[in-house]
Amino acid sequence: MNTRTAGTESATPLPRSHKLRWLLLIVGGALLSLLLASGTLAIRFLDKLHAQQQVVSHTLTARAQMLSGLLLSLQSYNDAVQQFVAQEQADQAPARSHLDQLTLELDTDLRRYPNDRDPTETAMLDGMQSVFTQQRTVYISVLAAKPDERRRQALSLISDRMIPLQRQILNWSGTLQTWNGERLQHADRALVTEFGSLQGGLSRVLAIGFGSGLLLVLGSLVYIIRLERQTHGRYVQLAQSQHELQRLSSRLVDAQETERRSLSRELHDGIGQALGALLVDIGRMSTTLSDDRPEVRTQLDNMKSVAETTLLSVRNIALLLRPSMLDDLGLVAALEWQGREVSRRSEIEVSVESENMPDDLPDEYRICIYRLVQEALNNAVRHSGARNAKVTVEHSAEAISVQVSDDGRGFDPTRVRGLGMLGMEERVHRLGGTFTVRSQLGQGAEITANLPFPPASGNHS
Amino acid sequence: MKKIGVFLADDHTLIRAGLRMVVDAQADLSVVGEANNGREAVAMVEALKPDVVVMDIGMPNLNGIEAAREIRKTLPDTQIVMLSMHSDEGYVLRALKAGAKAYLLKDSAEADLAQAIRAAAAGKSFFSPAVGKVLLEDYIRKLQRTGAEDSYELLSPREREILQLVAEGKSSKEIATLLNLSVYTVETHRAHVMQKLNVHGIPELILYAVRKGIIS
Repeated sequence: MNTRTAGTESATPLPRSHKLRWLLLIVGGALLSLLLASGTLAIRFLDKLHAQQQVVSHTLTARAQMLSGLLLSLQSYNDAVQQFVAQEQADQAPARSHLDQLTLELDTDLRRYPNDRDPTETAMLDGMQSVFTQQRTVYISVLAAKPDERRRQALSLISDRMIPLQRQILNWSGTLQTWNGERLQHADRALVTEFGSLQGGLSRVLAIGFGSGLLLVLGSLVYIIRLERQTHGRYVQLAQSQHELQRLSSRLVDAQETERRSLSRELHDGIGQALGALLVDIGRMSTTLSDDRPEVRTQLDNMKSVAETTLLSVRNIALLLRPSMLDDLGLVAALEWQGREVSRRSEIEVSVESENMPDDLPDEYRICIYRLVQEALNNAVRHSGARNAKVTVEHSAEAISVQVSDDGRGFDPTRVRGLGMLGMEERVHRLGGTFTVRSQLGQGAEITANLPFPPASGNHS
Repeated sequence: MKKIGVFLADDHTLIRAGLRMVVDAQADLSVVGEANNGREAVAMVEALKPDVVVMDIGMPNLNGIEAAREIRKTLPDTQIVMLSMHSDEGYVLRALKAGAKAYLLKDSAEADLAQAIRAAAAGKSFFSPAVGKVLLEDYIRKLQRTGAEDSYELLSPREREILQLVAEGKSSKEIATLLNLSVYTVETHRAHVMQKLNVHGIPELILYAVRKGIIS
């Protein structure tokens, strides 16, 4: 029940971090789309501006051209009228038709001029209109006069009427230039204003983007730090529980060994010795028994055989629990005994080789190596179908290496991982050693343990 | 005739009492002392100097094998009869290497004890019949499984004779006198036997002889 509540409690923070994750994702997406939109808008705006500028400059040059064309026409009209006035011939048909054509052109040009005009333009055009009218008046009055009268009037007409008109036209040409410059400046100013507004808009967008970007970064930072903390916490928890587990299993191995030893002692010293003494007594009784009681002798023999069988099984159990060879003869002899025992009761012939093994090996090392070999040989007997097995224990400068190999059918060590194998590994790890299993189907098996010896100080608890 | 002085060392009082009864029942044997652990046994034996020490292998506080080794070092005339529950060759060989003359299984101790004590006192080897049987079984099984040849077949009759005498505990000089040979010839035969049987040292040779039933 406890573990269940703990589980639900630890599950609640998860959705919160999910929410934060979605928030960050949304803010990030919004930021990106903002940047995209503002970029597109800016580009479009610049395009528009460019087109506008082109239109403005285009109309400006067109109007300037029209105005200067009008001025030129007026000028040539003026020249033509002067010429006409100065001429003496009665028949002036070509000059007249030239003048008529100029008149037509001027009239259409004036009428064609666009209607959206600023005051300067209007003034200029109105002036031109009136100059043109005056010229027309002069021309028509000259045309209506008699030839001698015309000659007489010519000089005064030219000096009184035509020259002031001429001057007026020249004046306009100056005004036109000024107007042109003003119009250009005006267009430039408009452009600058438009640019200014674009700059303002872009700065605002950038400021918003930067602000939300900063928020996003801060949010992400908070999120990452929280995740890191959580991960660290979990890591610590995991390491702790792993450590606990290791301690527990090592305690378990210890407890098992202690229990086995005390059980073995109990069996050996208590039941074993009592049975032994019983056997000695029975033996003495049967030697002192007179030969005329055959039924008592048979009973004694029965008792003896029961006691012997019981003693044997008690000893076997005791030996299995704690091999007394380890205490009596040391590790190597115990391993040899173990090998012979396996050879006796199975089809596997076991050979045991040892090199440089110290006599005064600490008990935890002896029992570790002994149990390792015992388990490995048991596995070989049960599963391998091997004919031969080899046990090698060797002490080099810094480690004791234990190797058990067989020529059986082998297995896949990545898939087969029995409890026995785990037990072996646990024992080896407790002494700070390494444990490897090498096997392949049809290739036999090899189990190797390397135990640092003499142990590095503080290596095992 | 002087009685053979026997010292008993076993950590179990019941067993020790049984052994004492067996020894006391013999006219030519007498118990001179008892100990219940190896350390105590070594100290008492050095003081009492018995002819034969009957000792259990599995004792607390210095086991029987170590105790035997220490006793043989300081008192080479004191012989050891080793008691054990195991007929395994590891035990037998180590007992022999530690200097024991006789090796008895505890199960049959009461039947063979007197005989073993007398043999040891005379400097001869003695083994429980069951020990030889187990050793032989192990040996035959190994030969069968590995397909090896029984090295005993390689020995000449003379070499077999010498093997038996060496295993019984006789010196080269004694053997030479017995067989009317020179000491040098006996030594050569002995070396050949060791080589052919691939054994190193007298204890292994004795073990071999026990296994083959040449001595018991």
